[in-house]
Amino acid sequence: MYLDDEGGLGVRWPVAEFGMVKLSQYVRARDTRQLTSQQHASLRHRYVLRRNLTGWAFILPAVIPFTLFLLIPAMMVFWWSTQEGSITGATRFVGLDNWAYVVSRSEVMTSVLNTVKFALMSVPLIVAAGLGVALLLQRVGRAGAVFRFAVYFPVLVPGVVAGLMWIFMTHPDFGLLSLASRFVGLTPPVWLGPGTALVLLAFVDVWRSVGYWAVFLLAGLMGLPRELYEAADLDGANAVRRFRYITLPQLRPILLFVVVVSTIWALQIFDTVWLMTRGGPGTSTVTMVFYVYMEALQRGEVGPAAAISVMLLAGILVLTAIQMRLLRGPKVS
Amino acid sequence: MTTTPAPARAALAAVIPYAIELVGVTKRYSTVTALSDISLEIEPAEFVVLLGPSGCGKSTLLKIIAGLEDSTGGEVYINGKLANYLRPKERDVAMVFQNYALYPHMTVETNLGFPLKMRGGKKDVVAREVASVAALLELTDQLKRYPEQLSGGQRQRVALGRAIIRDPVAFLMDEPLSNLDALLRVQMRSELLKLHRRVGKTTIYVTHDQVEAMTMADRIVVLKGGVIQQVGSTHEVYSRPANTFVATFVGSPQMNLFAGRVEGTVGERRFSGAVSLPLDSNWPSLPSDTSVTLGVRPEDIELLPPDTTDAATGTVELVEDVGAEDYVSVAINGQTCIVRTSSHQAAEEGETVGLRFPPDSLHLFDADRMRIERS
Amino acid sequence: MFHSMGPGRWSPAERATAYVLLIALSLVLIVPFYFVVATSLRNSTALFEYPPKLIPDPLYFGNFERLLFHSEFPHWMLNTLFVATTVAALKVFIDSLAGYAFAKIDFRGRNGLFILMIAMLMVPFGAILIPLYKIARDLGITNTYLALILPPLANPLGIFLMRQFIVGLPKDLENAARLDGVSEFGIYWRIILPLVKPGLVVLAVIVFTEQYVSFLWPLVSVSDKSLTVMTVGVAGMRSFGGTNYGLWSAAAVMALVPITLLFFPLQRQFLARSISGALKQ
Repeated sequence: MYLDDEGGLGVRWPVAEFGMVKLSQYVRARDTRQLTSQQHASLRHRYVLRRNLTGWAFILPAVIPFTLFLLIPAMMVFWWSTQEGSITGATRFVGLDNWAYVVSRSEVMTSVLNTVKFALMSVPLIVAAGLGVALLLQRVGRAGAVFRFAVYFPVLVPGVVAGLMWIFMTHPDFGLLSLASRFVGLTPPVWLGPGTALVLLAFVDVWRSVGYWAVFLLAGLMGLPRELYEAADLDGANAVRRFRYITLPQLRPILLFVVVVSTIWALQIFDTVWLMTRGGPGTSTVTMVFYVYMEALQRGEVGPAAAISVMLLAGILVLTAIQMRLLRGPKVS
Repeated sequence: MTTTPAPARAALAAVIPYAIELVGVTKRYSTVTALSDISLEIEPAEFVVLLGPSGCGKSTLLKIIAGLEDSTGGEVYINGKLANYLRPKERDVAMVFQNYALYPHMTVETNLGFPLKMRGGKKDVVAREVASVAALLELTDQLKRYPEQLSGGQRQRVALGRAIIRDPVAFLMDEPLSNLDALLRVQMRSELLKLHRRVGKTTIYVTHDQVEAMTMADRIVVLKGGVIQQVGSTHEVYSRPANTFVATFVGSPQMNLFAGRVEGTVGERRFSGAVSLPLDSNWPSLPSDTSVTLGVRPEDIELLPPDTTDAATGTVELVEDVGAEDYVSVAINGQTCIVRTSSHQAAEEGETVGLRFPPDSLHLFDADRMRIERS
Repeated sequence: MFHSMGPGRWSPAERATAYVLLIALSLVLIVPFYFVVATSLRNSTALFEYPPKLIPDPLYFGNFERLLFHSEFPHWMLNTLFVATTVAALKVFIDSLAGYAFAKIDFRGRNGLFILMIAMLMVPFGAILIPLYKIARDLGITNTYLALILPPLANPLGIFLMRQFIVGLPKDLENAARLDGVSEFGIYWRIILPLVKPGLVVLAVIVFTEQYVSFLWPLVSVSDKSLTVMTVGVAGMRSFGGTNYGLWSAAAVMALVPITLLFFPLQRQFLARSISGALKQ
């Protein structure tokens, strides 16, 4: 298209991009379908095929790692749980023997017990503290930016580094906690002793995770409708009442999510265990993932470790299913 | 862009009479049929309007022509070539979207030149084309701006420019004016028409606004529920509507419809319903045992003093003053009909008036709501 | 002046309590960092002093000197940064590609695959450690950088994230592009990607952080000294390094430096935005 000298509009026409024009191609009868339904079907097939291929080409770079490193392993865990042998060498089928072995072997069940104990200690604290901090943060407003940063910072710390830090903190000779208790006149307790190691691990986990959920819940709190609170104010409710009757019910689905996800994470605890206690003293801090690591990759016994893996997988799936069920359940109006 | 040598073009034009042809196009979803058996021939340089209420399938049809959606049956021919299984970019049509769909992260200049760039146009050629289209649409000052900095009207022109620059076989416009305010819409309407006269490109234009359709179209295709109700010029659709839907959809205020029956013997036929009117011999064949519908346009009814001969009597319910005219709602035998009068006659609410229905202005529709022809 | 972000009025006493609690809490959370930094700046004799000085005096930089110039730590850190950056870059690319396809291309098997990916999100890493290791061995990638880079690409979370961002883009935009003659990849590259930049950044940060702190998989999949990543290296110091607390604390401090540098400029955006965004109602 161009403007010619007189200011009029000139038009150029597109070439017949179809190449040499075969006039016979274009002579057709009117009001009849030119193609049979079979021809249509085959042409459509090619057209749709092309589109499918394009779609698959786009997702292939993501689907290949997904299949190789997530899908297939997830399915193979079950197969592995029926094997006995080493992960590097040959294995033989033993079927459900592994499971019998697992149930009878005390170390295995200990790992499950420890993991559950751990989760029971850390999760309620994480959720309660997270909620508490979120409520506090909500009160202090924009000035709270410093607090938000301070609270969230431990979340960024890699597990092994957190473990190192708390080894320092609890060191009997120069650790801050030991110093503090000495200062107060008490003898410093053995922080990593047989009864206390698991508790310490739980504490470290709480220290690391509170900030994450505090920020998360803070966003959730901000999203609650204000009108309810304004109505409550008019009704003369105080802070505690407000929390109990308005905030808490509204937060129920979010809190449920928090509980389930932090439980799932707690069940997989490994980094701090490896660094701080290596499962000791004795086996008091062997957790499920730690057991899998020790058994399969250090001792070379795949079977029971795979069985534990299956248990872990099943446990988490069950938890997730429960969460979804409860979330879809009766809603608070 | 390359050019077809004139002799080839002429030869082509001789054998391809239609720019776009639809044969039995159908679109079915699992439960709903959006389009049923649409067949249409569109001549080169024609301005065809697809008119209908929302949900009637007009936008879907446009998208099927463009290749953005698949049809479930039928064929689409563009410039004589089967287009069903061609990708949108191979079909050589350009589309102007309701929301303009300008690329927000590109300047107006880049937006306009984009289609040419994609087809491998050289930088200087593209720049030249962009400049001339921008001049055509008065966008030269906006070239370096981004879409979010433009007004609605300017954005619309950029969308138009992007279509023009491709020099396609046809323009497809999907309610391009509906996002503009009323004043701008009227202005853009005439701009579009003038542009069409200058550029002379086949255009398929979708709208639900019948005024837009009537002012712009060479031909109107009225659609309802995915079925073509009527295809015709503005005049045909207006004065010879094919069924009651078209009759009431086109024209504002709506055509008045009266239910009733045809009575009497041959030679002395009457329509009797809320009004009773003689039907002259211009009606060749009238059904006698079934119900019919009588239609009269508000502007055809004469408002007269109540005791005039041959006039029906009614009571004025409401008078709407729209400036140059009055819309008078008259209750007649339990039914309401609206009359347009240009003079600010003394029709007051509650008043009794006479109504005369000129025989030439009557429309009759049979029991299936289809038009009954008169000679 | 109404300072609180929360609903309802709080008495000054209540607000004061809140501040006190927050300060106490922040102390608990932050003090370990201070302690570690202080420890890293003490020499071994000063370390066991009682009562200890709050601020180390004299400041001893020997630990850091040893860590940065006479140990493998810089090498570990480079490995971690290399792996984290590579994985982040790759993942952003492949996840946005896939996210685009899931969002905007209608291909056979799309829905089924999507549901499958959602289901796999719930699979815990610890549970698939064994078969994953076996597969890595069989593929011959153990003890190579590939073992560190490829398996993390499997996480479908990024695909969901990108898909979410892309679904929000108007459909007519790609339609216009299709008519303008852009190939599907061209639509992805020229139209979609520039418009979802914030999403790309979010994903990159998430993936980078994940890889930065990753421990179990690097521990298991590579044993070669030259491939040690920072987390494994630092954790290993405890096994082999005797009881060189000064060195360890310096390592802990240095381990936190990059992630702090990354997070600090983002935190204002990240924390503030998620909160003020919700405030806007």
